[in-house]
Amino acid sequence: MNKNFFEVKNVDFKVGGKTKVANVSFAIEKEGDVICLLGPSGIGKTTILRTIAGLEKIKKGSIELNGNVLSSEKKNVEPENRNISLAFQENSLFPHYTVEKNILLGAERNKDKKDHQINFQEIIELLDISLILKKYPHEISAGEAQRVSLARSVITQPDLLLLDEPLSNVDQSFKEEIQEKLKKILKSSKITTIIVTHDSYEAFYLGSKCGIILNQELKQFDDPYNVYHLPNSIEVVNFLNRGTLIPAEVTSPKSLENKDLGTITGNFLKPFPIGTKVKLLIQPEDLHHDDKSNLKFEVVDRKFRGTNFIYTLKTPSDTFIPVFVHSHHIHQHDVDEKFGVRRPIHIDHIVCF
Amino acid sequence: MLKNLNIWFLSSLIVSLIVLIPILTVFSSFFEDTSNYYQILKDTFLFEYISNSLILLFFVLIFTFFIGTGTAYLVSFFEFPLSNFFKWALILSFAVPPYIYAYSLTAFFENYGTAFTILKNLFGDANYNENIPKLDGMFGAILSITFSLYAYVYILARASFLYQSQNLIDLGKNLGFSKFKSFYKVILPSARPAIIAGLSLVAMETLAEFGAVDFFSINTLTTGIYNSWITFDDLAFANRISSFLLLFIFSLFIIENLSRKKAKYHFNSRGGLKQKKKTKLYGSKSFLAFIFCFFILFLSFLFPLSQMLYWTLKFPENLFDLQIIELFSNTLYLVLLSGLLLIVFSLIANYGNRVSKNKALNFLSTLSISGYAIPGVILAIAFITFIAWFDNNIIKSLGFISIKKFFIGSILGLVLVYFIRFYSLAFNGIKSGYEKINISVDESAYLLGYSKRKTFMNIHVPFLRNSLLFIIILISLEIIRELPITLILRPFNFETFATTAYISASEDLLEAAAAPSLFLILIASLFIIISSKYILRENNE
Repeated sequence: MNKNFFEVKNVDFKVGGKTKVANVSFAIEKEGDVICLLGPSGIGKTTILRTIAGLEKIKKGSIELNGNVLSSEKKNVEPENRNISLAFQENSLFPHYTVEKNILLGAERNKDKKDHQINFQEIIELLDISLILKKYPHEISAGEAQRVSLARSVITQPDLLLLDEPLSNVDQSFKEEIQEKLKKILKSSKITTIIVTHDSYEAFYLGSKCGIILNQELKQFDDPYNVYHLPNSIEVVNFLNRGTLIPAEVTSPKSLENKDLGTITGNFLKPFPIGTKVKLLIQPEDLHHDDKSNLKFEVVDRKFRGTNFIYTLKTPSDTFIPVFVHSHHIHQHDVDEKFGVRRPIHIDHIVCF
Repeated sequence: MLKNLNIWFLSSLIVSLIVLIPILTVFSSFFEDTSNYYQILKDTFLFEYISNSLILLFFVLIFTFFIGTGTAYLVSFFEFPLSNFFKWALILSFAVPPYIYAYSLTAFFENYGTAFTILKNLFGDANYNENIPKLDGMFGAILSITFSLYAYVYILARASFLYQSQNLIDLGKNLGFSKFKSFYKVILPSARPAIIAGLSLVAMETLAEFGAVDFFSINTLTTGIYNSWITFDDLAFANRISSFLLLFIFSLFIIENLSRKKAKYHFNSRGGLKQKKKTKLYGSKSFLAFIFCFFILFLSFLFPLSQMLYWTLKFPENLFDLQIIELFSNTLYLVLLSGLLLIVFSLIANYGNRVSKNKALNFLSTLSISGYAIPGVILAIAFITFIAWFDNNIIKSLGFISIKKFFIGSILGLVLVYFIRFYSLAFNGIKSGYEKINISVDESAYLLGYSKRKTFMNIHVPFLRNSLLFIIILISLEIIRELPITLILRPFNFETFATTAYISASEDLLEAAAAPSLFLILIASLFIIISSKYILRENNE
């Protein structure tokens, strides 16, 4: 018996006969969960959503919702009969209806649903679209259109909500606020949701699970903390742009040796035999700044990120290592200056490949 | 393959087959015997037909280029007295088909014609006929076709100039170009695809022109086709000449399509670019710009209109003899029937293309719009040829009664051939309307639980309403002006304004041709004025 609320099993996602993402499997355990799919542009994230919505067919594997097969090689439930809602990335509002009418058309879908929890007023206030209700789609901005589309999709109270880059056109200053509101709506309405985005912070904030899609594969499907701190492949490390891989040799079950950093202790996620040459992931928060340390490297770059600085240090063997420093740190280091790294170096989770 | 057999596919297939009939019929003529006329004609007139067609084409293209581009340039870039009026008034020339222009030209310049009367009234009795130029023959045909068709170049060039960004013009200024250098180095090259598209349309129409060249007795390929059918009753040879003409026209059709695609990219670049400011002209420059535009408007529209009006008033008995209500209801009948058929099939084909994403269907659609490129004379004769062949070889052999009378000399046949000729108008009109509805709008509708039918009725049709209205106006305009198909295929005693004018003119009763021509011009002008905003792409970017 299938225990998961939604499940994708061994599906090849194709568009126009061309495979975009192959042999994908993942599941949403409980109704009301929100998961995010992350990946670079053009990788096939949208194809996955379109296929789940029934707009593309599959020839391998199956897609099941609430125990019912929606798509398989032999079966394909038409999009209009799935009760799945998809908010497209581009403007998909009905051009000849006002914003209000567009949203109300969404509300008609499940008006008889007993546990109807979202009302029109609530959604337009949450998404801040009350002032544009009488306008037509061509009279509003791209960001507003995206919020209207989001409102229309959410108000349908679907069994599964699919959001394709829902906030890509929303102003940065407004994005966090909308993210918070969106999370609140999804939580209160218990709508099971799959969000596709290329913004990792958005995915980590909104999703209880995150899938990373790279090179035609679902590389990792895990909770945001693990995806962030414990990436399972070099591709995921490179995609998230989290740190750098440096050569090291395993010297004991709890230590490694690097030519520039010396001994590094910590807990291996995956055991390696002593003497194995590995690539050790150094993330910006793994090393700590210490002016008094005699382990010093040259600063080659400094990025100010508001709450912190990320220094890039060059080691004698020409490796570039990122180090995170709080921006309230007492002083800053300029490029070409020496920068001390605290010893002994201890990394709680050692990630090696 | 069987999976593709749905209503959309079948509908497009039927339309494509109907359009294919005349094309296949024309080319199949190579496998048939022709009468002796072929040999006689090959030895005598064929060279003349071809050379006349090419001479006509060459001069019409040159004149329409200068007039169309010149007027478009003036109204797009400069402000001068009545420039906003000229912007749309210059397309009124569409209301005057070349054959009516030819009647006006003759009526004015002939011996004892209107020019003579004017001179006599001004300067008294004298033999002015010797001094009045006779604008007939080849020169008359070139003028008639030029003034009737230059608006194709004007409309497309103007649209292209209109969407040229201020940045492009500023760039020319920045490089130190004079106005003239900016025009031929920057403005003209970037409008080139649009101008070529306009000229290709002019070329197709010129090669297809029948009424004016027939009136001036110029032997071209089109009149050759008509004569080999009507005089020598040799359908096979008519079709054989048609195939030469068709090959030439199809190459123009391809050029036009390719140019139009490029022109479209040009229009799209408008977004985000600065809008152009018009330069205000003063003094003699302003006067010259006004005079040029007025001169073209006068020659292309006001002159034939006033000539026809003058003769209608001068010979009022012809007006009283004219069965206006009958002619009007006949025209309306044809417009409504053809319009309905065209709209329904074009909607189905466009919707089919949209939902099925089938390559074969797409190919069929492209094929089915090629009917527009086939001259009316060829279409009508090929249609008759096909029906005769089908009736003799298929229907009769199956033992059924002859179907000729249902298709030849009947409204059904006439409407079917109109359908082939004007299908691309309706299809492309709806297609451009559909292009403005993002495909994700349909998908959103499905995901909101809408069926395909509900999506079509509730989302597409309301959005396409304006496009449909515009298409009906365009079809009406074309059918009102249309001559050869109506002439060849109309039922006995069924006349339109165009055929009434033609018959009177061909019987040398030009004064009797004036009243129907005047009505034709007035009705067509009304349609042009109603649709001018769409034609000029002002609401319809």
